[in-house]
Amino acid sequence: MLADTATMHTFVDAARFIGNHTGLLATKTLEQLALSGAALGIALAIALPLGVVLGHFHRGSTIAIAASIVGRGLPSLVLIAAFLTVLGIGFVNNMVALAVLGSGPLLTNSYDGVERVDRDAVEAARGMGMTGWQVLRSVELPLAIPLIFTGIRVAAVTIVATAPIAAIAGGGGLGDIIVNQASYRLSGVLGASICVMLLSALVFAGLAGVQIAMTPRGVRRTSVIGEPQRREL
Amino acid sequence: MSVIAAGPVIPTFGKGSSCVTGDHTFCWDWVRAHWGDTLGPALWQHVELTAIAVVIGFAIAFPLALLAHRYRRLEQPFGIFSALLYTVPSLALFQLLVPFTGLTWTTVEIALVSYTLVILFPNIVQGLESAPDDVIEAARGMGLTRLQVLTRVELPLAVPAIIGGLRIAVVSTVAIATIAAFLLPTGLGYPIFLALKEPTPFKTEIYSAGALAVALAIGCDGLLVVLRRVLVPWASKGLA
Amino acid sequence: MIRKHRSRAAKAAFAISLGVAIVIGLFAAVFARPAQSAGTKVVIGTKNFPEEFILGQLYKQALEAKGFSVGYKENIGSTELIQTSLTSGKINFYPEYTGVIVQDVFHHTSSGKTAHATWLLAKKLEAAKGYTVLNATPFFDTDVVAVTNATAKKYGLKSIADLKKVGSFKFGGFPECKTRNTCFIGYTKQYGITKATFTPLAGISAYAALDAGNILAADVFSTDPPLGKGSKYTVLADPKHVTGFQNVAPIVKASVATSLGSKFTSTVNAVSAKLTQNAIVAMNKAVIVDKQSAAKVASAFLKANGLK
Repeated sequence: MLADTATMHTFVDAARFIGNHTGLLATKTLEQLALSGAALGIALAIALPLGVVLGHFHRGSTIAIAASIVGRGLPSLVLIAAFLTVLGIGFVNNMVALAVLGSGPLLTNSYDGVERVDRDAVEAARGMGMTGWQVLRSVELPLAIPLIFTGIRVAAVTIVATAPIAAIAGGGGLGDIIVNQASYRLSGVLGASICVMLLSALVFAGLAGVQIAMTPRGVRRTSVIGEPQRREL
Repeated sequence: MSVIAAGPVIPTFGKGSSCVTGDHTFCWDWVRAHWGDTLGPALWQHVELTAIAVVIGFAIAFPLALLAHRYRRLEQPFGIFSALLYTVPSLALFQLLVPFTGLTWTTVEIALVSYTLVILFPNIVQGLESAPDDVIEAARGMGLTRLQVLTRVELPLAVPAIIGGLRIAVVSTVAIATIAAFLLPTGLGYPIFLALKEPTPFKTEIYSAGALAVALAIGCDGLLVVLRRVLVPWASKGLA
Repeated sequence: MIRKHRSRAAKAAFAISLGVAIVIGLFAAVFARPAQSAGTKVVIGTKNFPEEFILGQLYKQALEAKGFSVGYKENIGSTELIQTSLTSGKINFYPEYTGVIVQDVFHHTSSGKTAHATWLLAKKLEAAKGYTVLNATPFFDTDVVAVTNATAKKYGLKSIADLKKVGSFKFGGFPECKTRNTCFIGYTKQYGITKATFTPLAGISAYAALDAGNILAADVFSTDPPLGKGSKYTVLADPKHVTGFQNVAPIVKASVATSLGSKFTSTVNAVSAKLTQNAIVAMNKAVIVDKQSAAKVASAFLKANGLK
């Protein structure tokens, strides 16, 4: 039952599939990135500013907490299915569903990031005569970058890794292969699964690298990875 | 190849209400009628899937965390491993396990346990380490053995973090378990998959199964908060 | 004072956690998957669409009513997947379509000349591999090609061959259709349609995709409720009978059928005999349109016909 020659054979087949179908996999990967990128873009445009503003004014902690709970407790499948019933099949419904998914950690983390900035630093800045906007830009945001970026990273990885499920609702991407075992055989499903894993890992590593590069030197800590905030796909 | 015999009796199967056949947004009558045969069993299976995963995950994470607490070297590699496991989409992980353990509950549970493990381990470790050093000093000074320090000081102080970890683990597992329905006809994801396949996706089934999944997650989360309040009444703050 | 609280809390924490863990553990153990019992058990599998769920439930409940021990694995997947389940021993019984056996499992390019001939051929082919094909149902369910009424009007489509008029278009169907003689391969080769791109539909229904305009034509099934009276869709004629004859006949592992004896085969055949076109269409409608559960519909049908 465990790793025997037949199983090993399946993985060899999967590797062969990847080799034989690089074009298909590349197209599907781009499709998935397009969908994920669009969803992340929407989430960034809405959730990030909202979180930052709320944090700056120290208001709306309930919204932030609610976003975190909703973000955690809402299964992606439910989200995708629900939006399918409202927005039909295709790109848009999945983009919206994934954007909602990514907004949870983004909102929570941007809020936390700005809200938790050391009050003394903010006071000092105000004392120096800075306006609220200047305080936000020069003091709060730089100090909040680690948390905000963690939020972006969690959101991005979550969206990219959840996208395969969107294939059920016409979302395309590598998920199209994973849910289509009948067409692509188990070797195809495994091959595409491995590709999705690599894609998520790359996004994760890439963003972690950017985060380390972007964090002001004085604020950098030894570990940027942090604990998993929430997890579900 | 038969049938000159009399044709069969075709009973009435109960016509769907106009709400159902007209595909209105939500049909309470369908929910009431099908609680027993569709939604109830699915909910039950979902609870089972989650409970087994969390219990086993905890049973593995707890001793591992005690070990890591004692021998600090284990933490860093585990942190990286868990961060990487986090990037694996659950659907892909399920499929990758299939060649090994087939289309069974075992496959699903291995994946679910892995996810709970990577959530619980760091949280328990963090909880154990949250005991302030001077408190531990004081305890050792009073003559407590290492084990006593553990059971009387560190563990009680770790309870909020442990419960925090359990909350995240339970909520995440409930959500991932919906995907398990792709492999096995079980859990609350199954009615949703079936409803999506209909010529017109059946809204009520999707919404009701979805609502149950969300309610289950939030309900368990609430229960654990209550548990924390019972166990450690002094630790009432914390977003966890 | 504080020490007393802490140690009490610690004990309470331990006790409660242990207790909860034990309770949940017992819970899980009690409801854990029961081990396979000794003795021949019929393990029924079904494919991944409602008609198969209904058939599976019908056979399952009828056999259980006669005292057989039955396992049930619903929604395994399409032909190719369920065949793997059968040959690897995970299931030993499932309802299959006679034409599918001949043309898709054994890759003949066409079925027999009549429904009966197809059944006999299927029986012979499977017997050589150690599987018994039991009696066929009166009803048949073939693949058909459907377009929306609007599309049919726009291009003047009456039969599958007319699709040549459309130029390049997207053809949707369940994934395996792409490689099947009774499906996409049959349609394109036999009718000379060169410009169709195949779009596999995994999660959503072909009808939903047709309505959304994602595809122009789709492979669907003749007993589907949306094709009933007053349908929004036009079924294109298939004069070359590419889709074959498709009555349902259960495939059973020969050794299982022999060891369970004539009571087993007669129970199954009795159910099959009652499944006329009207019966299956009514049951499909109940499940797909009226959203009843397949299990309940099967149960009602069996009871009404004295099979349960």
